[in-house]
Amino acid sequence: MTRILLIDDEPDLLRVLARSLKADGHEVATALNGPEGLSAFAGQRPAIVITDIRMPGMSGIEVLKRIKEREPDAEVIIITGHGDMDNAVEALHFGASDFITKPFRGETLAIAIRRAEEKIDLRRRLKEYTLDLEGKIEKATRELRRRSNFLTKLIRSSNDGVVATDEELRIVVFNPGAERIFGFLQDDVVHSRYLSDLLPKDLVESFQRAMSAERAFKELPWREATIVSKSGERIPVMFSGSILVEGSNKLGSVAFFQDLREIKRLQRELVRSERLAAIGQTVAGLAHGIKNILHGLKGGSYLVDVGINKNDSQRLRKGWDMIKRNIQRTSNLVLDLLSYSKEREPEIQECSPNEIAAEVCDLMRERVQQEQIELIREFDASIGKAFMDPQTIHTALLNLVSNALDACLFDENTAKRWQVRVRTIAEPGNVIRFEVSDNGAGMSDEVKNKLFTSFFSTKGHRGTGLGLLVTRKLIEEHGGCIEVQSKLGEGTTFSMQLPCRVQGLAT
Amino acid sequence: MGKKVLTVDDDPDVRLFTTTVLEEHGYTPVEAGNGEEGLQMITSENPDLVILDVLMPRQSGIRLYRELKTSKAFAGVKIIILSGIAKKTFLRSQQALTEFGESPVPEPDFYLEKPVDADVLAETIRKAIG
Repeated sequence: MTRILLIDDEPDLLRVLARSLKADGHEVATALNGPEGLSAFAGQRPAIVITDIRMPGMSGIEVLKRIKEREPDAEVIIITGHGDMDNAVEALHFGASDFITKPFRGETLAIAIRRAEEKIDLRRRLKEYTLDLEGKIEKATRELRRRSNFLTKLIRSSNDGVVATDEELRIVVFNPGAERIFGFLQDDVVHSRYLSDLLPKDLVESFQRAMSAERAFKELPWREATIVSKSGERIPVMFSGSILVEGSNKLGSVAFFQDLREIKRLQRELVRSERLAAIGQTVAGLAHGIKNILHGLKGGSYLVDVGINKNDSQRLRKGWDMIKRNIQRTSNLVLDLLSYSKEREPEIQECSPNEIAAEVCDLMRERVQQEQIELIREFDASIGKAFMDPQTIHTALLNLVSNALDACLFDENTAKRWQVRVRTIAEPGNVIRFEVSDNGAGMSDEVKNKLFTSFFSTKGHRGTGLGLLVTRKLIEEHGGCIEVQSKLGEGTTFSMQLPCRVQGLAT
Repeated sequence: MGKKVLTVDDDPDVRLFTTTVLEEHGYTPVEAGNGEEGLQMITSENPDLVILDVLMPRQSGIRLYRELKTSKAFAGVKIIILSGIAKKTFLRSQQALTEFGESPVPEPDFYLEKPVDADVLAETIRKAIG
């Protein structure tokens, strides 16, 4: 229980009270006057002091004051007499916790003590609680600081540029990545510059629209853009942004930038090395093609020798023809190779695509007659004159039609009535589509995949292997594209689309 | 009549060349333009020697070679491979096929790389069938 100090100048009362309190289990100290009481207080440090108000020498009020000076938390109960109300009030004023009036019953004192004890307990618990709370706050603050540091480091370390603004689009975050891209320093920009100082007009407008939009549309998805840096350099970037909101409040915005310069440089490198690789492959295949031609020349000259030595004019003729054929093959190969390796700008001029297609078909006339293939022409009459490169059209069509004829010849199904169809079609957006289809041998998926990618010929000795590569290159240089559909055993269709700055095309 | 020699090659110039060499040296030439035709001719003409190109469309040359080397019926037929690809490359391709589960075939008896001299060809034919 509690340590209690009793101060009263009446020894009998003191004795009785002390006995009663001890019976209740308290530790009791007594004093007969003020000074004694104070010294007992200093020595014993009781939690509760019960003192008479009227005492000779030092009054109870004085004792109260002194005790409160020393130990403000001490609970002091004043014993007053009848008519001591003013004193009681004064005592309360000086911090007494309670007063009881003589004469009093034992219970009254016990109740007062209990109340005092409750106050002591409450105070203790409050202190504990406060300490505990302070500990928790400190811990939470540390955690917050740690997380804030983490996020700050996150933003700083990002290789991408991170730029965040308040709701008025004034810059509040500008990480080192952004410094690298835009060329401004963080200190120059944060809180002083606006998004409009940094980004081109169309991007700023996107942000403004998104900021003022009432609902949805808060995200600006990734897209390519060009920004102008502090030094005036135009930098390609990948950009994305969003508006930051909390409930219905707009907090600001954030934008992310990826520097695309390196990627674009690598892409160009890749295209270049792919072409070099193709040429490397071409060299290997080329050696093979040349070997075949050499063999033809050697064979031809052997026949000529035999013909001369034996006076055999037939052998002579055959040998000479073989030599001439292989000279032509050499020539074709060299021309193809030159076409493939040179970067060529298409020579745009006024021409008539249908006329060129007709020319190519005419060139094939002898062959189709010989091989009994039907060559069908379906030209779109609405195509008149166009601004294109006639050489491209001619070379590409010649290659495709020649391939189509070969496809018929290679077809094992000799019962078929072979047809090659050449079509021209005007398409919207100033595009002309040329289609060459055959119902010949067709291609397996395996062959189809290899078609445009490597030095590859299914024609054995007859193909240079470069035909389609050259065709595709010419088409791509003209800004067009080519695709193929084929079914093994049934036929193939090559379809190329070329843009034309057109004149006289009925739309 | 001299010994019969079949040339299988899709290039008519090559066939013309080998046919001339064969005729000049007293052999009887026959020819085929692809592997399938070649197989037919072997069955019908029964040649002593086949001069074979292995780089033909649809791999008919290689298939014919494997056919000849694995089937008992054609065990007596000698083969000269006359090809544009190097011998090493050819052998490696056969190795690869074996690894992929095809049955292994013996190396060709004779391998000539194009372009080939008429004399060399004639000498090789003599070594093969005399």
